Amino acid sequence: MSNDIESRLKAALRPVAPCTQFSEKLVAKVCADRTAQIPPRRLAAAGRPLAWWLSASVAASVILGTGVHQHLQQQRLQQSGLEARREVLEALRMTSQKLNLAYEAVKSQATPPADEQSGA
Amino acid sequence: MKRFTLLLIALLTPILAGAAPSARLLLPNFAGLAQKASESVSITLDPALLSLAGKFLDGNDPQDAATKDILKGLQGIYVRSYTFDKDSAYQQSDIDAVRSQLSAPGWNRLMETRSRKTHADVDIYIMIDNNQAVGLALIASEPRQFTIVNIVGAIDLDKLHKLEGQFGVPKLDLDQSKPPDQLKPPAPQRKQSP
Repeated sequence: MSNDIESRLKAALRPVAPCTQFSEKLVAKVCADRTAQIPPRRLAAAGRPLAWWLSASVAASVILGTGVHQHLQQQRLQQSGLEARREVLEALRMTSQKLNLAYEAVKSQATPPADEQSGA
Repeated sequence: MKRFTLLLIALLTPILAGAAPSARLLLPNFAGLAQKASESVSITLDPALLSLAGKFLDGNDPQDAATKDILKGLQGIYVRSYTFDKDSAYQQSDIDAVRSQLSAPGWNRLMETRSRKTHADVDIYIMIDNNQAVGLALIASEPRQFTIVNIVGAIDLDKLHKLEGQFGVPKLDLDQSKPPDQLKPPAPQRKQSP
């Protein structure tokens, strides 16, 4: 009786070679278990494709470039305005200077000589 | 019908263009003179630049406020000024091309001064349209400098008068009720001896 039990036990515990796809099945089961434990948000982040990141970076570059361009345009406009203001003031200054020339010429012609005034 | 319309436009355009004289002078390039000049000033302010300049004038500053007020009716300011190191470095013929334009209809000579003291000749012309000044031209010739100023637009002589004291503008005592050829220079102030 004990020999019978012993032989049955040996037969049950005999080493058996695993099937050809045993390792693949084991890895797949481990990955599935691990995936089931990861939260959904981390799953989404990990799952975004490269194209999404590229699109987002291009959009950010466009927005940043537009902002910089507008800032530079505003600066150029301000410089142009200040330059135009300076030119206006210069033009009017020169006009008044030449008007003053005409005035001085008229004044000198209208004013009698000093010796005539003191003689009278 | 289309040909008739085009012909009508072609015939009327010169007439319409002649009916409204332009106060803007065609200023020469003066490239040759600019090379000889020790100092040259060329200012060209069209309506867009004048409008832009007006935005940068401070209304709280008296000078800027007076300037802003004048700019309201103006459509252009054009200045050419050349200074030389020696006398008679430029020819009167260089300026004649501008003077000839001032003999066109619409222009009236407001003032012509010849000074032996300063050897400066100043001619001031004004263009009148519908009893309103619409252009000013000033030609100042000095031994070592000449300046041409052309202002286009509704020039208010009152505002010009208000510029007295600003930029050193003298009191011209201009009476708007009189025609330009009857405008007289101001009466001289006699100094009283002690």
